Amino acid sequence: MSDGTQEKLCELESLTREYARYSRSAGGLASVLGGLFCLASYLFGGLLPLSLAWRMALVALPILWLLARQVAARRYYQRLGHVEEQESTVDRRVHRCCAGVTVLVAVLVTIHAFPQAVRLSPGSLAYLALVWLLALAAWRWLRSALDFVVGTFLFCQAALVCAGFAYPVIGTAEAIANPPMALLALLFPLTALLLIGRGVSDHRRFRSLRARLLQFREAAGEA
Amino acid sequence: MSAPSRIGEVMALDRLVHEPARLLILAVLVNAKEVEFGFLEQVSGLSKGNLSSHMGKLEAGGLIEVKKSFRGKRPLTELRITAAGRKALADYRQGLAMVVQELPAPSVAAKRK
Repeated sequence: MSDGTQEKLCELESLTREYARYSRSAGGLASVLGGLFCLASYLFGGLLPLSLAWRMALVALPILWLLARQVAARRYYQRLGHVEEQESTVDRRVHRCCAGVTVLVAVLVTIHAFPQAVRLSPGSLAYLALVWLLALAAWRWLRSALDFVVGTFLFCQAALVCAGFAYPVIGTAEAIANPPMALLALLFPLTALLLIGRGVSDHRRFRSLRARLLQFREAAGEA
Repeated sequence: MSAPSRIGEVMALDRLVHEPARLLILAVLVNAKEVEFGFLEQVSGLSKGNLSSHMGKLEAGGLIEVKKSFRGKRPLTELRITAAGRKALADYRQGLAMVVQELPAPSVAAKRK
């Protein structure tokens, strides 16, 4: 086997590894959408009066985002065939830890709500359902740290608006009344901006990857 | 290294891995958890039948696992490299690197020709 063949095999390994990222950790345009949803949820939830239509829209955002991620991966980023990314041990541990925290929070919230379970309003029941949905989403879909933070915010904001609240936006009366919560909430739009940047960068990398994969296929066909 | 021992090392290379199409399949699988048959077909440029034949040999050798199912009404074939497959590929690379390293450099006269 010549050095050229060795190089080609190494290139193929690296192309496959890169392509596999788009099955899990790299979202591309779906990450951009998630970031935009996060910004919209933060601003609209905190600034606009929460009518029923707005509440429903904010509840729908995390679910729409997860759907968009799946559709983007299957129909665009993994169009050449599904290749499942291999997680490193560290990534797997971090993911399990994050998912474990969401399950723990869901259990604690449920235990806290259990004594009043009979008297819970529909909004509070929806709150509980969304907290458990977050645990499921964190386990199944929110693989990278940025995805986890943005997904957690979208679900938490959706749960809060169901109960009639929202995270305070910096500069509003609610933020002045509760500065620690306002500062914590500020973390989410900042993470959203990072996720948008990463999404754009992943999308560009994918376009170059696709071109390299097509070149490789043509070369393999000729050989 | 003497010529006979070099020949011995060449002969010791895993023939199951050495075939280019099978080497390509393993190279694709080694960095992924699971790979759909369609992706292999796209990047290898091999025909379905040829690919299936090599896949069968690798599966029989215990180097890969093949999972067949349906997505809706479409048949779906997914491949995964086994621990033995990873080891075989790593051993093959190591063996090949040793053989290549100890090959004599081409002489000036041979280069002129």
